[in-house]
Amino acid sequence: MKSRFLFFIKTILNSYAILFFSQNSVLGGILLLVSFLNPLAGMSGLCCVMFTAALIKTSGYQREHIQTGIYSFNNLLLGLAFGTFYQFNMYYVIWLIFTALLLLMITVVLAERLGKLGLPILSIPFILCFWILLLSADSLFKIGLVSKSSVVMQEVYGATANLSYLHNYLSFNLPDLLCLFFRSFSAILFQDNIITGACIAIGLLIHSRIAFSLAVLGFLVAHGLNASLNIYPDDISYYHLGANFMLATIAIGSFFTIPSIRSYLWAIACIPVIFILINAFSVILAAYNLPVFSLPFCVISFTLLYFLLLRKDVAHLQLVKLQHYSPERNLYQFINQQNRLNNLQYFRLRLPFMGSWTVSQGYDGNITHINDWGKALDFVIEDEDKKTFKFPGTLPEHFYSFNKPVLSCGDGVVANVVDNVEDNAIGIENLLENWGNTVVIKHIDGLYSKVSHLKKQSIKVKIGDTVKQGELIGLCGNSGRSPEPHLHFQLQITPYIDAKTLSYPFSYYVSRKNEQERMASFTIPKQGDVVNPVAIVNATAKAFDFQPGYTATLVGEPGVNEQLEVFKDEFGQTYFYSITSGATAYFINDGTQFYFTSFYGSHQSLLFLFYLAAYKITFTDNDHVVVHDVFPLHLLNNKPLLWLQDFVSPFFRFINLTYRAVNPPPKSGAIQSTQVKQVFGKQKILMEATISLANDNIQGYCITVNGNHKNIEWVKSNTY
Amino acid sequence: MEKLPYERPYIKKLTPGVMNKFGSHSGAQPFKYIDGIQVTKLIEAYGSPLFVVSESQIRRNYRSAYRAFSTRYPKVQFAWSYKTNYLNAVCQIFHSEGSWAEVVSGFEYRKALGNGVVGNKIIFNGPSKSKEDLMLAIENDSLIHIDNLEELNLLIALSENLTDKPRVAIRVNMDTGIFPAWDRFGFNYENGEAWNALTKVVSSGKLQLTGLHCHIGTYIQSTSAFGIAATKLADLALRCKTILNQTIEYLDLGGGFPSMNTLKGAYLPGTDTLPSIDDFAEEICNKLINSDFAPNELPLLILESGRALIDDAGYLLGTVLANKRLADGKRATVVDFGVNILFTSFWYDHQISPAQDFLPHTENMAIYGPLCMNIDVIRENINLPLLNPGDHLVVHKVGAYNMTQWMQFITLRPAVVLIDEQRNIHLIKAAETLDYIEENENVPGHLKAK
Repeated sequence: MKSRFLFFIKTILNSYAILFFSQNSVLGGILLLVSFLNPLAGMSGLCCVMFTAALIKTSGYQREHIQTGIYSFNNLLLGLAFGTFYQFNMYYVIWLIFTALLLLMITVVLAERLGKLGLPILSIPFILCFWILLLSADSLFKIGLVSKSSVVMQEVYGATANLSYLHNYLSFNLPDLLCLFFRSFSAILFQDNIITGACIAIGLLIHSRIAFSLAVLGFLVAHGLNASLNIYPDDISYYHLGANFMLATIAIGSFFTIPSIRSYLWAIACIPVIFILINAFSVILAAYNLPVFSLPFCVISFTLLYFLLLRKDVAHLQLVKLQHYSPERNLYQFINQQNRLNNLQYFRLRLPFMGSWTVSQGYDGNITHINDWGKALDFVIEDEDKKTFKFPGTLPEHFYSFNKPVLSCGDGVVANVVDNVEDNAIGIENLLENWGNTVVIKHIDGLYSKVSHLKKQSIKVKIGDTVKQGELIGLCGNSGRSPEPHLHFQLQITPYIDAKTLSYPFSYYVSRKNEQERMASFTIPKQGDVVNPVAIVNATAKAFDFQPGYTATLVGEPGVNEQLEVFKDEFGQTYFYSITSGATAYFINDGTQFYFTSFYGSHQSLLFLFYLAAYKITFTDNDHVVVHDVFPLHLLNNKPLLWLQDFVSPFFRFINLTYRAVNPPPKSGAIQSTQVKQVFGKQKILMEATISLANDNIQGYCITVNGNHKNIEWVKSNTY
Repeated sequence: MEKLPYERPYIKKLTPGVMNKFGSHSGAQPFKYIDGIQVTKLIEAYGSPLFVVSESQIRRNYRSAYRAFSTRYPKVQFAWSYKTNYLNAVCQIFHSEGSWAEVVSGFEYRKALGNGVVGNKIIFNGPSKSKEDLMLAIENDSLIHIDNLEELNLLIALSENLTDKPRVAIRVNMDTGIFPAWDRFGFNYENGEAWNALTKVVSSGKLQLTGLHCHIGTYIQSTSAFGIAATKLADLALRCKTILNQTIEYLDLGGGFPSMNTLKGAYLPGTDTLPSIDDFAEEICNKLINSDFAPNELPLLILESGRALIDDAGYLLGTVLANKRLADGKRATVVDFGVNILFTSFWYDHQISPAQDFLPHTENMAIYGPLCMNIDVIRENINLPLLNPGDHLVVHKVGAYNMTQWMQFITLRPAVVLIDEQRNIHLIKAAETLDYIEENENVPGHLKAK
């Protein structure tokens, strides 16, 4: 019951907040309050929202969509407009109810149709519906609605009696420009009120620094343009149309796009267009005596968004794919995921051998990797003297790489095998059978891997066999165009032996340089690199193998428990759901690493602490491998500093939240991680944690966040 | 004209006839430099006899052995066998290459800790572990390889009240087709003793079974024995997984790889007959890879090779003291190093080279040490050029066991120097002195010299 009530309250607040593309309850609350400065409009708006929310909930539409308020905010506008345009009487109530019903239908239908195209409905349903109502009310056949006279309207806009003094005081003492700014804001609620505008401005600032600064920018540019071209004598408050500019700059600059310098420029570029649209629509609609409302904003947003959506190859000005209803969050999450998750597009390939090998010829090497066959790698084994063979090096057997196991680089099906080419004597090349003994494996459609120059009759697989990653497929040899034993590796898009090559990275490997080991992810090794596969510690891999249905209890201090369960959503993404706190943390486990991708919910939850501590874990016990990663900035606890960053974040970021994890040597089965804040290069450790593992399970984690130490026990409740 | 060097008179049997397939000259070559440092300079600076250890050779050996295994098997770990040579400098070279420590006594265990090896990288083997040793090992999260049931019972009793289970493995002995089968260490595979011990470890609930260990012998000259050992351990590990539901994290195949020394009684030199580390790696890894483990579930392979990694990095330098002719007419040379410091001369026909130029004539001779003991024979027969007192000799491949099994007997133990990769010489163990030997002695008052 409680959760249903909360859901209802949240839906109502969101219906208000979404007028500014927000889900911020504070902003929603402020809007709800100030809408009552015009009591009839405020009351009508609230009733409309409640009516819609209740109706749509009982009709069984998607819960998540209802809560965002996207079905109900048009009805809010309808209620507000009703209360602003008409006087209260019996007909008022009747027509309000049925217009709201009509509007709801239009909203749902439009939302469904436009949603398929990836487009929003904006306030188009409200505009259509209210025009219909206006036309109908003004028709020859009266329906009983009584318009407010403009004098009354002016009074209503001004303020109610109690606040009129304050309003007059403000309008007298504040600079004209600021008053105009606030009044433009209030026009969104069909008011012309400085107090309303000021409250909305504060709410918007709390919601988003980016959106607020865009609103200011939009207002100033529109004002400046108007002043220099003298379009409207009353400045842009003319007919309450200033809001169009501000909404358009917020929407284009920060809501539909990831905020950036480009999105800001597009937002500004739209302002002159809006002037044209306002004028044009005013002329057309004047014929029917209809107001323009936010139509210019809708048209420009809609057009531009569709225009951007149709791009095929998007390098800049990214559209928001997963809407968080916060420009900052959209931006920080986007930057974070662009850096971290860009590699999900690749099929995961490992090095096709064991131990340390050297790239003797890299991509576009100068020997044989040329033109169409350039994106290939040759591997040999070298000793500390950079020699590839033992004295005297006259037979293939003297070479370190000869006879060494060659593995499948990924799961797949064997597509092609050649196994009967004689191995060459040292220094001889077999140009007739260029590739020698070869295995081609199909991994996915259009991705084949090929290993060549294998030893005669060493190949363990035949065409049609399925192979697992890391499975032995043959032995390194010296067949084909190979004067000394080496392993040729390439990716290609066709199964043919002579196919041209494809540039493609290995998912993970360890590269060694000057006695330093470093883990490389999704990179292509270069000529001269010494590389070896990542040695996976099965115990760690098992501890982090969370399958859907996995449940665990986190025990903090006595009495503070948190129930976790792992789920998989309809997009195949796995996440932890904290049954106790409602927090959600999405993660990926790719067999080499476990890492979190995003977190939603309370920062007080124990799951959040686990999210921080185990942000990225590599399943290796190599002391030399340090895992580095970056947190999204919105996790920063220092809000004043974060607000400063928010204002300039589309252009540059001076704060960095980094993560590093190591396998410290003293204790087996422990992972130490830290979170470091960097502000203009100045470092401060925010979080330190140790995760302890034993018996293929997480035992618990100790974490210190901002000097606050917590010891959390991890109790796995089921075995599977 | 330059004065010709003195050559003492000698008698040589004349062998007339055609040239044979072994060629005309197969004697020693002068060996004047170790890693670029002149042998005579070393003796001048540090005395004679003198042990010399080559850091670069150790690293070479380690890397080549690691390469041999790691390019054939996904997860390989070496553990330095302390008993082979536990001079701290030597141990540190291995640890810096990534080796863990393999110890067989509380003394060695503490030595490894002193060398900065972290507890979970120490493997504690051997039939003799005291209660205190075990407690220390448990505390440090070391890998305890259980040798017998008494030890297993003791461990279970010790871990009664512990929160973290001690990590243990059992030592398994087995028939690998070679003689002698080392059945005195650990639990037998064939008669089911090993399986019983494993069941006991798991069912105790107090110990965490992490690995399986075997060490089939020493100086094993056939690769197939290791193949059999690997197969049997793999089988045991898979049985643990399927029957006891216990994943075995590592298989420790022990050591026992030969160095290239020639065993006494061998007909041909070791360099020509013994399998290389690569051959052993090929056999072991092949057997494991082709066992029933899934590719991503192959356990870690641990190797405790000692001798093969260090023997040829050690040299013993000495000096000729005297020449004599024995009653049967055979030549004998007396040198200043005896079996007390060259323990391995009981096992090997050590290769010995003069450290200076010599004339082409060679003579068959016996080499005796300086001890006044009949057993002090370094070589019973060796063809060497005519040596004069004061000439220097180099004994090759003495890095393993000598610097741990040597004893102070009649003479003092000599110094050990290390030549590092930049050819700098470091004294890593000073020569013993009389004071050092007498340090712990106590003469009762009435016996004191007046």
